[in-house]
Order: sequence, then C-alpha cells, then structure tokens
Amino acid sequence: MRLQASDLFYLMPELSLLMAAVLLTVLDLILPESTSRKRFGWIAAAGVLVSGAFVVWFMFDIRGNSAEYIVLLAQSYRIDQFANSFKLFMLAGTLLVLLMSMGSLKKEGVEHRGEYYYLMLPATIGGMIMASSADLITLFIGLELLSITSYILVGIRKKHLHANEAAFKYVVLGGIATAFILYGMSFLYGLSGSTNLAHINDALQGMDPSWTAIVYISFILILAGLAFKIAAAPFHAWAPDVYQGAATPVAAYLAVVSKAAGIAMLLRIAYNAYYDASSGTQPIDDPMFAMIAVIAAAAMIIGNTAALRQTNVKRLLALSAVANSGYLLVPVSLQLSPAHASNFAEIYFYFVAYLLMNIGAFAVLAAVSHVKGQSGLDSFAGLYYRAPFTAVAMLLFILSLAGIPISAGFVGKFYILTGAVQMQAYWLAAVMILTSVISYYYYFRIVRQMFLKTDSSAEKRITLPIPLAAVIWFCAVSTVVLGIFPQWLLRPLADLFQVFGDLFII
Amino acid sequence: MSSITQFFSSSEHVIFFVLALGAISGAVFMITLSKLVHMILSLAVTFLSLAGLYVLLNAEFVAFAQVLIYAGAVTILMMFGIMLTKHEDAEDKAKRPRHRMLLGVSITLLFAVLFLAIQQLSLPAQDALQADNNTEAIGEQLFTLHVIPFELVSLLLTVAFIGSIIVAKKEAE
Repeated sequence: MRLQASDLFYLMPELSLLMAAVLLTVLDLILPESTSRKRFGWIAAAGVLVSGAFVVWFMFDIRGNSAEYIVLLAQSYRIDQFANSFKLFMLAGTLLVLLMSMGSLKKEGVEHRGEYYYLMLPATIGGMIMASSADLITLFIGLELLSITSYILVGIRKKHLHANEAAFKYVVLGGIATAFILYGMSFLYGLSGSTNLAHINDALQGMDPSWTAIVYISFILILAGLAFKIAAAPFHAWAPDVYQGAATPVAAYLAVVSKAAGIAMLLRIAYNAYYDASSGTQPIDDPMFAMIAVIAAAAMIIGNTAALRQTNVKRLLALSAVANSGYLLVPVSLQLSPAHASNFAEIYFYFVAYLLMNIGAFAVLAAVSHVKGQSGLDSFAGLYYRAPFTAVAMLLFILSLAGIPISAGFVGKFYILTGAVQMQAYWLAAVMILTSVISYYYYFRIVRQMFLKTDSSAEKRITLPIPLAAVIWFCAVSTVVLGIFPQWLLRPLADLFQVFGDLFII
Repeated sequence: MSSITQFFSSSEHVIFFVLALGAISGAVFMITLSKLVHMILSLAVTFLSLAGLYVLLNAEFVAFAQVLIYAGAVTILMMFGIMLTKHEDAEDKAKRPRHRMLLGVSITLLFAVLFLAIQQLSLPAQDALQADNNTEAIGEQLFTLHVIPFELVSLLLTVAFIGSIIVAKKEAE
C-alpha cells in the first residue's frame, strides 16, 4: 500500500493551499522590508479559491460516479461528501477571514502581516485533514497542525499584553487538551491494534465485556479534549481570554474554522469508532452519546448565562460561541435512527448560518473597535448615527445569533430543535429554548447601544475599508437570504449527503 | 507472598520494576523539587527509564529516539533555557489549601478509576511481534502507509519553526 504519483491529484485541495503558503514565504524573504504585505492577502485568498474549486470538482465527481469514494492509504485520507462539505465550509470561512484581515490587520496592531497570511493557510490544511481522514494518526497530526498554528496566530501581536497572556494560556491549556486526546487514542490503539477507525469499530462491536471501563475512559478523554478544542463548557474557560487577546480576525477564525474542524473530528470518531460498540450483547454506546448531550446542555447554559455579565463585546462573542458549540453538539448527540437521519444536514446548516452571523459580527466589531481602539460594549454606542448601514447589518447578525425569524440562525436552530423533539430528547430541546431566550438579553444590549445611545465623543462617521465592507455585506445578505429560502441550502445538502459512505466509512 | 517472589524470580520483571520505579519517582520529584536544575535532572531520569522500558519491549528504535530527543535534546534545551534567561530559583508557591485538596481528591479518583479499569481488562493473548528489524519496519511504514501524516509533520515543523522565529526575534524599534 503506497501513495502513487497519480494519487497526489486527490490531495490538490491541501497542496494548492500549501503552494500558496510556500510562495508567500519565499516572497516575504525576497521583498524588501518597506514593501507593503497587504497584497499577500490576495495571494492567500487566490490559493483558497483554487483549493475550493478542487473541492467542488471532487464533490461533483463523486456524485457523478454514484458514490465512488476515494480512499488513499487504508483510510488515512479519504474524500467523501462529509469531508468535501466540511472542507468547503472551512475554506469559505478562511476566505472571509482573509478578506476581513486585509481591511483591519494594520489597525489591530499586527506587525508580522506577511507571516500572518502564510500561517493561516497551514492552519486551514490542518482543519481540512481533520475532516478528511479516518485514521487516528492522520487525524491527530491534522489537529496539531491546526492547534499549533492557532497558538502562533493568537500570539502574533507580541507587544500586546492581553495577546501575550492569551497565547500563553492557549498553549498550555491546548497542550493539556491534546494530551488528553492522545491518551484516549492510545487506549483505542491498545485494544484494537489498529489506528484505522473502521478496524477499531470492528474490534469494539464484539468486544470482551472486560473492556467496557477502558472504552468509556478512552471516549471520555477524547471527548474532553475535543470539547476543549471547540470551546464547549465546561472546557471553555480559555475562550473569553483568548478571543479578547487575539486580533479580531483571528478570533473569528478560531470561532468558525477551528470549531468546524473539531466537530468534524468528533463526528468521525464518535460515529466511526464508537458507534454500535457493544460488549457481548449489551450495547454500550448510548451512555457515550448521552455524555455529548450533557456537554451540549452545559455549553448552552454556561455560555449564555456567563455572557449576561460581559461588557466587552469580544468576550461576549466568545461566550456566545461557547453557547453555539452547545447548539451544534445537540445533533451530534442524537444518534441516527430510521425516524431521524438528518443530523448532518442540521449541523451543516447551522454551521453555515453560524459562519455568516459570527464572521459578520466580528467584522463589524473590527470596523467599530478601531475607531475607539477597544472592544467595550460602548464602542457600539450610537453606531446607527455614525454608520447607519453597518448598524443595520449588525442588527441582522444579532437577530440571527439570537434566533429571531427570517434569519438563517432561526432556521438553523429550529431545524436542530425539531430533530431533538423527533428523537424525544425533550429536555435538550427545553434547555435549548430556555437558553436562547436568556441570550436575547445580552444580544439586545448591543442593539440598544447602537440605536438608542448617542455618543457625543465620536461624532465622525466611520468609513470602512472595501474588503471589510464586502465581508459585512456578503454575510448580512446571505443571512437574510438563507433565512427566507433555507431550501436553497437544505435541498442540495439532502441530495449530496448519504449516511452510509459519507458519515459511516465503508 | 509467594506470588511476589515468583514475580521477582524473572530477571525481566526485576528490570521492569527498577525502571518503572525510576520513571515514576523521576516524575514525582519533577513536580515536588523546587530548584529548576533539579527538576530537569529528575525529568531526565524519567526519560531514560522510559527508554529502558522500550528496550524491554523490544522497541529499540523508539528507545533510541527517546534517548536522543527527550533525554538529549529536550533536557539540554531546558538547561540552556535556564542558563540564558533570568529566573528566580525556588519561587514560593501560592498556598491555596482548598484548591490543593480538591486537586488531591480528583487525582486520587482518576487514579482509582484508571487502576480499576486496567485491572479489569483482559486482553486476548497475541503473538509477540518479530523484533529483529523494527527500525526498518518503522521506516517502511512511514514512507508507505503513513506517508501523508509524515509529510504533514514536516509542514507542522516548518510552521512551528516560523512561529518560534516570530515570537523570539528581536524587533527593530
């Protein structure tokens, strides 16, 4: 079993990002110090676009060949619609973050702008590998590539005290979370003798009853580590500090792309290694999915209540991201059944809505906080009078985040909720509704600042850099369009995705 | 009692016992000692004992990598780190008795859970792997079956390298 030169074609999405990164590194070394690094953003964005084009090509290719999945090196790398759709999502997130960075990096105080652009690409490669592998080793390396690059991106503003603190916390806590994941994986390898998820599943399906405890321990360790990576409570304590310390585009990247990669890896491991694990005749995977449900509930409750007291918008958005991890984990925790097999569509739709509203909100924050040099709640004061269109866009994002009808966020939440009710997880649905109502309070505090407060100190109007304005408008319009016509995304998703072959590896 | 004498009658078991004791005590001393240099030396003891355990398991290549990278590079790097930076020897620890008690309880619980789970475990007997040429076998696996993660690791190292340069380099004011 070896990699042929012709197989490299299937790695093109990752390779094109890598080539862009290498090109930028070389350019950064050649160009004199005085040359602006702003154009680097466009080269990086071009790399992302090329990579996205390959992913779309593979998507149509697989569909045309009626589920011909491409598997390299015994599942070490696989291309299926699960991988493709998550890759496309992460690439879209990266592209928007890059555009957002072009308009705001300088004012954010990021001095190493060249490095910033070519570090973001390897981070995305790591995330893509996490979505498109079914082998523990490859998954782990992808996770580390994403994590280590994120640590650097958080700490890239060397002269900011907050950034230093954030980067240090993130490295230490992230390292511990990684160790948990690796420890959990080591048990799986020890029991099954393989790092391949399909082989592990074979071993767990007919396992000896004496294995039960150790299998649970391995699952808890992996779940705890991944919950840290996606900032789900009670493993979320790093999130507010890190988001606050990181430059705004980096915070948006962590909130969207890192989270998608973490959820993708959790889905792969939970549904491919542990699903249907049973000792003798006793199935033991139900308590595992119940654990995910508990983490989902904890994230919704803790994230939303902790956000009530925040006056810093970045910390507030970080805690709202914690709550959103909770919403996203709800469909993960609901197992598949003949009555309900749309888990993936629920997750993916909410992810798209989340990408639009969250990147939009972070982009508005980046635009607003520069003017006053901080990210307190009062930096939104009187925004409607200073920049009416931006304020309206922010209103749309907030409506979507809070889950008010005619926004993508509402449809996504509603869809997840119906799924939970169908699977009779009523308590989870109740927690979801209650915490959403709680969240109105802190989301609408921002609205009140924008429309009801007038800020006498900052009279001057805000003018937005073009890439930043483009990001805000793209996100705002798509949020509304997806809110009114959700079937535009849902129907292709239902068409594309098959539970067997895409979610379950065969 | 007889089972203990039986255990120690095999030389392999005695070596395992000594090495395991070294690994654990090194780790414990690493946490409890207060001078940085002492901490690093006890860490080196742990690393070397682990290398010994690997040899016992017929994993010579891993053992050598352990000595070269952990006992060699990591320990020496830490030594340099201490020598090149200002640091305060034997810093006072903030005393938080409740915090420490909670930690103690949860660590004991974790140990109990892991211990019981491992005690309970019964693994099917497997044939011992042929170990005459495990370096070659590892190399072959790295460049065939696991070549994608292998290449990714090289990317990871590049990224880490760039990152450490960003963090460490002196800025022109």
